[in-house]
Amino acid sequence: MRIRGGIAAVVMMALAATAGTTTPGAAQDKTLTIGVLGPLSGGAASYGVELVRGAEMRADEINKGGGLKVGSDVYRIKLVSYDHKALAADAATAANKLVFQDKVKYIIGNAVGATCNAVQTVTEPEKVLFSFVCWGTSNLGPDKPHSFRAMLSQWEVAEPFYRWVKEKHPQIKRVAAISPNDTSGKDTNTAVVKALKGLGFEVAADEYYERGTKDFYPVLTKILAAKPDMLDVAAAPPGEAGLILKQARELGFKGPKGWTAGVNPVTLVAIAGKEAAEGVWSPANINVKSDFVSATVRRFGEEYEKRYKEVPGVIAVANYAAFDVFTKAMQDARSLDTDRVLAALTQKPFDTVWGRLVLGGKETYGIDRQFLYPVVISEIRDGKVVDIAQVLPAALKK
Amino acid sequence: MSIDLLVQALLNGFGLAMVYVLVALGLTLIFSILEIINFAHGEFYMLGGYVTYYAYALFGLNYFATLGLAILTVGVAGVVAERLIFHDLRGKALNAFIVSLGLLWVMQAGAQLAFGVLDKPVPSAFSGIVRVLGLVISVERLVVTLSAIVLIIALYLFLRLSRPGRAMRAVAQDADAAALQGVNIEAVSALGFGVGCALAGGAGGLLAPVFAVSPAMGALPVVKAFIIIIVGGMGSLPGAVLGGLLLGGVEGLGALFMGSAAVNILGFLMVIAVLLVRPRGIVGGA
Repeated sequence: MRIRGGIAAVVMMALAATAGTTTPGAAQDKTLTIGVLGPLSGGAASYGVELVRGAEMRADEINKGGGLKVGSDVYRIKLVSYDHKALAADAATAANKLVFQDKVKYIIGNAVGATCNAVQTVTEPEKVLFSFVCWGTSNLGPDKPHSFRAMLSQWEVAEPFYRWVKEKHPQIKRVAAISPNDTSGKDTNTAVVKALKGLGFEVAADEYYERGTKDFYPVLTKILAAKPDMLDVAAAPPGEAGLILKQARELGFKGPKGWTAGVNPVTLVAIAGKEAAEGVWSPANINVKSDFVSATVRRFGEEYEKRYKEVPGVIAVANYAAFDVFTKAMQDARSLDTDRVLAALTQKPFDTVWGRLVLGGKETYGIDRQFLYPVVISEIRDGKVVDIAQVLPAALKK
Repeated sequence: MSIDLLVQALLNGFGLAMVYVLVALGLTLIFSILEIINFAHGEFYMLGGYVTYYAYALFGLNYFATLGLAILTVGVAGVVAERLIFHDLRGKALNAFIVSLGLLWVMQAGAQLAFGVLDKPVPSAFSGIVRVLGLVISVERLVVTLSAIVLIIALYLFLRLSRPGRAMRAVAQDADAAALQGVNIEAVSALGFGVGCALAGGAGGLLAPVFAVSPAMGALPVVKAFIIIIVGGMGSLPGAVLGGLLLGGVEGLGALFMGSAAVNILGFLMVIAVLLVRPRGIVGGA
C-alpha cells in the first residue's frame, strides 16, 4: 500500500513538473495567506460567518483556476480567520496574531465598528491593507490610507433611505432609533438623526443598549412612551434586532419599522417571527434573487446557496467583491508589496460582482476609500425580503 | 413621567426576575452542599435552552413536556459532571474555581461545534398580550414567570418535605454531622449538583422562546444570579427571591432614567452597598 502511494506521488510530481505554469493547479509553489476577522460567535456571528464565506468562495475560485498569478509567480491562497466576538480587545489580539504570527499583509473582512478601530491600531503602522464592512466614520480617513470599506455605510444610506420614507410615507413624522452602545451604534444613530433632522422629521428617541442584551422591555418602554410613528433598529445586529422587534410588538407597537444597517433579514425574521418582522424596510440589505440586483450578484447567490444551504446577505457579497478587487489590484501591481497594491487599488474602477465598483467618499471621510454602488431598499413581506426601490448615494450621483 | 409608566417599568423588571432567581437558587444550592462556586452554571442554563430548541422547536414536543425534559436532561448532566469532575473538589474552592472555569470554556466551545454559532430561534409557545389598567403584559412572559414560581415552590417543598431534600439541608448545615447520622454524602453531593443544574436547565428552557438560544447565552443569567445571591444572602431561598425582585425593580426603573450602560452598573452598585453594610446579604444567616 505504502509502495503504491510512493509511486503515485512520484508520478504526480513528474506530471506537475512537466505540465507548465498555465495548467490549473500546477506550479503553485507559493502561498499567499490572507486574513479574515469577524464575530464568529455571539449576537453578531452572522456577520462573521458571511465574511468568511464570501472570502472563501473567491479564494476557492482562484485556487481552482490555477492560483493567483502575480507577475511571474503563482500563489495558492490560504485563508486564516479568527473570531473576535465583536469585542475590541479580542479584535486587537486577533489582528496581532494575523500580522505578527501568521505574517499576513492583507486582511479582507471584518465587522463591527469598535473592532475595526482596534484592528487599525495594528494594520496601519504595519501597512497591512485592510478591508472591512464596519460602520464607523472614524474607520476611514486620511490618517488611515490602508483601510477600505467594502460595504455602503450609514453615511451613504441613511439620507437616501429617509428621503424615500418621506416621499412614499408622508404620514411618518416622528422616528425613534435604537442601536448598540458602541462606535458603530453611535455612528449609525448619528447618521440617522442627521438625516432625519435634515429632512424635517422629529427624532422621538435616540437610544442605545449594551451588546448582548436580551431583555429590551426596559428601554422599549421608554422609547414607546415617546410615541414614535416609526421605529428604526438602526445598527442592531440581526439577532438583537429580531428581539427588539418581537418585544416592541409585545409592548403594543404596530407602526412602520426600519433597519438602516440591516443586513441579514433571514436571522431577523427567524428571531422576531413573521408577524413582528412584517414590513421592516432596510436600505442596507439586498435580496440576491431580486430583479434590482445585477445578474452577477444573482449568480453569486445561487452558488452560495448551493454551497452553504443558506441565502447570502449583503456582507457575503461585499466581502466577495472586496476579495476580488484586492486580488485584481495585486495582479495589476504585479507585486504583493502593499504600497504598490495600494497605488493600483486607487487608480481605476474595478469590474466586480456589483458591476463597476467606484471608490469614493472623500467628501465625508477626507479620502476615497469607500466602495460605492447603488442602494436597494427592501421590505420584509411574509418573512421574505422583497426589494422595492433603488436609490443612489449622494457620492455616487456625483 | 406618568404613574402608568413607572408601574410598567417595575412590571418589566419583575417579569423575568423569577427565572434568574431559579438560576441563582441552583448556584446557591451547589455552593451550600459542595462548598464550591460553579462558574459553568450558565452553561447548564444554555444546555436547557438547546434541549428546548431541539425538542420543542424542531421535534414539536409539547412545551411543558419539553420543559420537564430540559430539567431532567440537564439534571442528569449535572450528576455526571459532579461524578466525573467535581466530586473530589468538595470544599476546595480555588481548585473548583479553576476547574469550573475550564468547564465553562469547554462547554461553550463544545456548543459552538455541536450546535453552531448563530442564534437559534424558538417559537413562542404563548402569544398575545393582556392589557390591565393601561399596563401591557406579555402572555408569554406571564406564563414564564408563573412557571418559574411553580418551580421555586416545588424546590422549597422538595427541600422541606422529602427525605433527599432534608439530607441536602443536613449536609449544607454540617456535612460531618450528617455523615455521622448515616447520610450518604457522596450521593447527596451528586444529587445536589444535579438539582442545582436542573434548575438552571429549567430556566434555560423557560427563556429559550423569549430570547432564542446561542452558545454564549449563559453569561448574562449567571452574572444576574451572582448579584441576586450576594444581595439576598448566600444559601437563602427567600433571600434569592428578594434579591431577584430588588434587582428586577432597580433595573426596570433605572432604564427610565439612565442609559443602558448605567443600568447595568446598578446591580453591581447594589452588591457593593450590601457587602459594605450587610456582608452576609439581606436575608443570609451569620
